Amino acid sequence: MSALAGDLLPTTLRTLRVGFESTAIAVGLGIPAGAALGLGRFRGRGPLLAVANAGIRMPPVAVGMALWLLMYPTSVWGGGPLSGLDWLYTTSAVILAQSLLALPIVIALTAAATQRVPNDLLDQARAFGAGTFASALLALREARIGVLAAVTAALGTALVSFGAVTIVGSSLGDATLATAALVQWGAGGHDGQAAATGAVLIGMFLVIAALLTALQQERGPATVVVRPG
Amino acid sequence: MRFLGEMLSEAFNQIGSGNAELLATTWRTLELALISTAIALLVGLPLGLLLGERATRWPRRGLVLANAGLGIPPVALGIYVAFLLLPGWPLGGLRWTYTLPALIIAQTLLAFPLVVALTASAVRGLPAGLLDQARAFGASWWHRGVFALREARVGVLTAIIAALGSAVAEVGAVVIVGGNVRGRTNTLASTILLDISASNPAGATADLIVLVALVLVLGGILTFVQQRERGRHRLAVART
Repeated sequence: MSALAGDLLPTTLRTLRVGFESTAIAVGLGIPAGAALGLGRFRGRGPLLAVANAGIRMPPVAVGMALWLLMYPTSVWGGGPLSGLDWLYTTSAVILAQSLLALPIVIALTAAATQRVPNDLLDQARAFGAGTFASALLALREARIGVLAAVTAALGTALVSFGAVTIVGSSLGDATLATAALVQWGAGGHDGQAAATGAVLIGMFLVIAALLTALQQERGPATVVVRPG
Repeated sequence: MRFLGEMLSEAFNQIGSGNAELLATTWRTLELALISTAIALLVGLPLGLLLGERATRWPRRGLVLANAGLGIPPVALGIYVAFLLLPGWPLGGLRWTYTLPALIIAQTLLAFPLVVALTASAVRGLPAGLLDQARAFGASWWHRGVFALREARVGVLTAIIAALGSAVAEVGAVVIVGGNVRGRTNTLASTILLDISASNPAGATADLIVLVALVLVLGGILTFVQQRERGRHRLAVART
């Protein structure tokens, strides 16, 4: 049965839920990590930034396949290291995958944004007795446009990226997202539903694009690349 | 852990023995990425140049559009391209449904805003007055363009690598427009989906390894060039 035959509304709501939850996880972990990489002066900072930047380019299917191998359930060959979670083909796996895709975007963009905060300002704050945490908060507030752009780009990725979802989730049944449902179009017979699902995705994209444009007008990053699907 | 070990050793065996199908898929992936990037460059470079050079009202709007287009959902773009190619639709006469040319159309459309936006922002980042000076010395539009692109080459290269990377990594539009037909329209990335649904995890692991290697090589080239030119142009990490 084609997933497109299902109702549009539950699929849309599920897509939004997964998108927001994974973005929340990525933001919760990524902003502190990005600020540490952007502001910190510790050994290994360069390589870690390089890893975050390489992570942005990692194809979603590759992330999904790696997770699939790790989460493969116990079988005659044994299971993957994460088989104990029992997450394969559940919404939890989808959220994990989308968080992992969004995380390097948040880290790299937050690091880039906090790096642009003038050093004098932070030195001054420290001179007035601000600790590491307080001056990091100050830097994040100064770089808020860039950080917001990072969050928006992460949300865009979590909503429209499809490659990982289809491997660790299932394209069929109750866990379907809008993207995954659309790819089932080839199964045939649901052109109208496919056009509608496409329109829903374009609508989400327009909201994200408008947000990013508004942020860029406020002197945010010149271009923000959302990961290919 | 035994499962992971089995999969990896079987995958490396397949790669090491020069699996013909894997080789053909890799070649098809590169072909798709190179052709679609080339077409996107052909149209996108002049346009990006134009939008970057002039800061008047319309170019600025065009740039906003190109920037926004970076995030277009590939699956949504794919479904409408697929519709256009169906018999009875405007491009139906071409009979391109589920063929490589259809894939090239979709990937070119995805790469186009990347090329335009990154080229324009690279040209815009050139020192103020540099291009005016060239114009004052009587350089033609063509010469000024070549000059500007050469000066902004790191940005242009970033655009090329991003477009190639997008074509290599993308699966949404590839599966919808190309149908993921094994041996005809599958790419490295979409073969992972085929192998997983055909219960061939070792094959999917082999695809995964080749795909990641390809992406790392592309990224490595970009990093290398950026490092070499670092003194001249400081690129924000976000642009990769």
